[in-house]
Amino acid sequence: MHIGFLVIAMVLSVFAARLVQLQGIDPKSYAQMAAAEGSERVTLPATRGEILDRNGEPLAESVDGRMIVADPALTAKLAPELATFLSDRLGVDYFETLERLRIEGSRFQYVARQVPASKAEKVVADAAEKFKDDEDRPFAGLFTERDPLRIYPNADVAANVLGFLGTPKDDGTAQALAGLEDSFDRYLSGKDGEARYEVGAGNQIPLGDNTVTPAVDGRDLRTTIDRDLQWYTQSVLQQTVERSGGESGIAVIMDSRTGDILSLADYPTYDASDPYEFKDETLYKSAALTDVYEPGSVEKVLTISSLVDAGLAFKEQRFRVPGKLHRQDRPIGDYWDHGTIRLTLAGVLAKSSNVGTVLAADQFRRGQLRKYLTRFGLGQRTGLGLGGETKGILPGGADWTSQVEDRIAFGQSLSVNAIQMIAAVNTIANGGVRVDPSLIQGKALTDDGATVGSEAATSRRVISEEAARETMLMMERVVDPDAGVAPRAAVPGYRVAGKTGTAQRVGDTCACYDGSTSVSFAGFAPADDPRFTIYVVVHDPRRGSGGGSVAGPAFSKLMSYTLRRYGVPPTGERPNQTPVEW
Amino acid sequence: MSSTAPQLRSRLPHVAPRGAQAALERARLSVVPRRRTRAPRVPFVTFVTIILLGGVVGLLLFNTSMQQASFRATALEQQATDLGAQQEALEMEIQALREGDRVARAAQRLGMVIPSTPAGVLDLATGQVKGTPTPATATDSIPLSMPGPRRPPELDPDPVRVKAEADPGLSGAPTRNR
Repeated sequence: MHIGFLVIAMVLSVFAARLVQLQGIDPKSYAQMAAAEGSERVTLPATRGEILDRNGEPLAESVDGRMIVADPALTAKLAPELATFLSDRLGVDYFETLERLRIEGSRFQYVARQVPASKAEKVVADAAEKFKDDEDRPFAGLFTERDPLRIYPNADVAANVLGFLGTPKDDGTAQALAGLEDSFDRYLSGKDGEARYEVGAGNQIPLGDNTVTPAVDGRDLRTTIDRDLQWYTQSVLQQTVERSGGESGIAVIMDSRTGDILSLADYPTYDASDPYEFKDETLYKSAALTDVYEPGSVEKVLTISSLVDAGLAFKEQRFRVPGKLHRQDRPIGDYWDHGTIRLTLAGVLAKSSNVGTVLAADQFRRGQLRKYLTRFGLGQRTGLGLGGETKGILPGGADWTSQVEDRIAFGQSLSVNAIQMIAAVNTIANGGVRVDPSLIQGKALTDDGATVGSEAATSRRVISEEAARETMLMMERVVDPDAGVAPRAAVPGYRVAGKTGTAQRVGDTCACYDGSTSVSFAGFAPADDPRFTIYVVVHDPRRGSGGGSVAGPAFSKLMSYTLRRYGVPPTGERPNQTPVEW
Repeated sequence: MSSTAPQLRSRLPHVAPRGAQAALERARLSVVPRRRTRAPRVPFVTFVTIILLGGVVGLLLFNTSMQQASFRATALEQQATDLGAQQEALEMEIQALREGDRVARAAQRLGMVIPSTPAGVLDLATGQVKGTPTPATATDSIPLSMPGPRRPPELDPDPVRVKAEADPGLSGAPTRNR
């Protein structure tokens, strides 16, 4: 009897000791272990927002993707057959896959990444079925894991603007490498959520613990780009650059009234859905924003409109233009040889005379031109929302000498990016009011903390409405078949105002003008009620090409297409006939 | 103090008529044993048992059905994921079919080009065509594929041009190895 009690007491003390151990010493870790045993934690991935064009067509979208992973311990035996199967189905490299399937001492090898979910699951299921073992059990050497996939359905269309996502980081988060994807990464990504619940045999236990923190999806980014127009612009630009033997080119189409960038094309560009195809990292940008060049004669539009606004010139004003103008350091000449000719101000613009422009610009008081150019937006970032934008170079202070002013008056000795330039020319189209160009509809926050977009765009008056109109009338003479230098920029049936540019280019190797040029054409239509402003630039075309012969026809094509696409009827007015000579 | 009956009786006059005596005798109350009613137990026990059993079985069924629902939920979720993936795959297919280059290529095969001049605009009010519509020509066609990669100059040397000296002793035909 006593012995019985003793035994019971001993057993109970053992229990008590264990109880103290469990409850007294670090009870939490045991509770956690218990909770972890039967509970599952699942990351609820946030879907990355889409990038859309102005009509809601997707330019970049996220789909559910998978990585296919092999366990070499199980795949080594069947490696050749599996590698054949996988290279057939997934298009992966046979030899590399074979090697990976055979790696010793590893239990985790990527076979393919970012495969669309449905395809990946099907491949793995088919492999499980096909490579059954002797006992008829499905093959377990391949499995999938989540690996979000970003697709760019339009390949190279707007790739320069969109950028792309590189291979995801190890924790599965996206790695934005260029363009809008990069500058709006935080806006687009959203925040992953998490679900924790108790499971039994793979199913959720109905009344068990269950906490869900829902994922916050990324927001969609709606751009002002018009997908189809962008496609056409890229094609026309490519054709223009290739036919002229150029090195690169830029074409931008802007809504004159709102400042929306409808199309922003760069050439050469890359395929956003396969960015590593050529591995040329210099292409992963929009040269229209990141690269500077000297605008050349297109800038004369700004000089002359400023003169008109300041009341220092008018379109029929008469100039005697000599063949060469000897100024302090070196003579200024025109692109064509001539003796002294008699041009009106309209003629100076229409024939693109450097000498005439410098003579007209002599009227400016000191610092006046620079103030106007700053108001036109030169020397400042346009704030489109894309990273890496350059400010351009507008000399100031001691650098602004009278020789520099002479050259700036006709577009040399200053550097711009293409967006700055189109926004400046658009000021004339928009009746003297400069609107900020925008690439984002509505507004959105960049990762740098700047709010950009059409709702955040501001506008300011640079020149008077009358000055803008008078400049437009002079620009219209540029495309006149007799008076102007760019008849091929004309659009049949419509009034078009524009300006050519052929600028000397600073070479890549020497810091000097190496004889290569940048040819361009900027203009708008219908001239008497402007709807679109288009700017085309081709860098380093064959010698002897000019803005009128290379960029002009491209402008005409793009303008025709845009007017047709947006159903803009001709105004029915006839072009003005301001005299260019006297 | 159990009853008032004996006191009542004692106060009654002893001398009473016989008839009254008999009536009195009849009226006298006496304690009767409490009547024991035995309620039938069976229905009650049955009732309780049914409730208990019903409760337990109901709970069991409820639990089972919830488990079933959980299985079903898991299966349906899986199905939803699969269908979602399938939909995405189909959408990707549509996107690929709608891609500008592909559509343009198909159109070009049919002999279509994008005109490089504006179309005329029909004014519905007056029935007049504004503008100067011109037909598109084959020269309006645009390139439909991106150029290949640009190779660095080391990999893409200029062709070496060698001026061949004309040798009158040799004919143009290659000499064959006999």
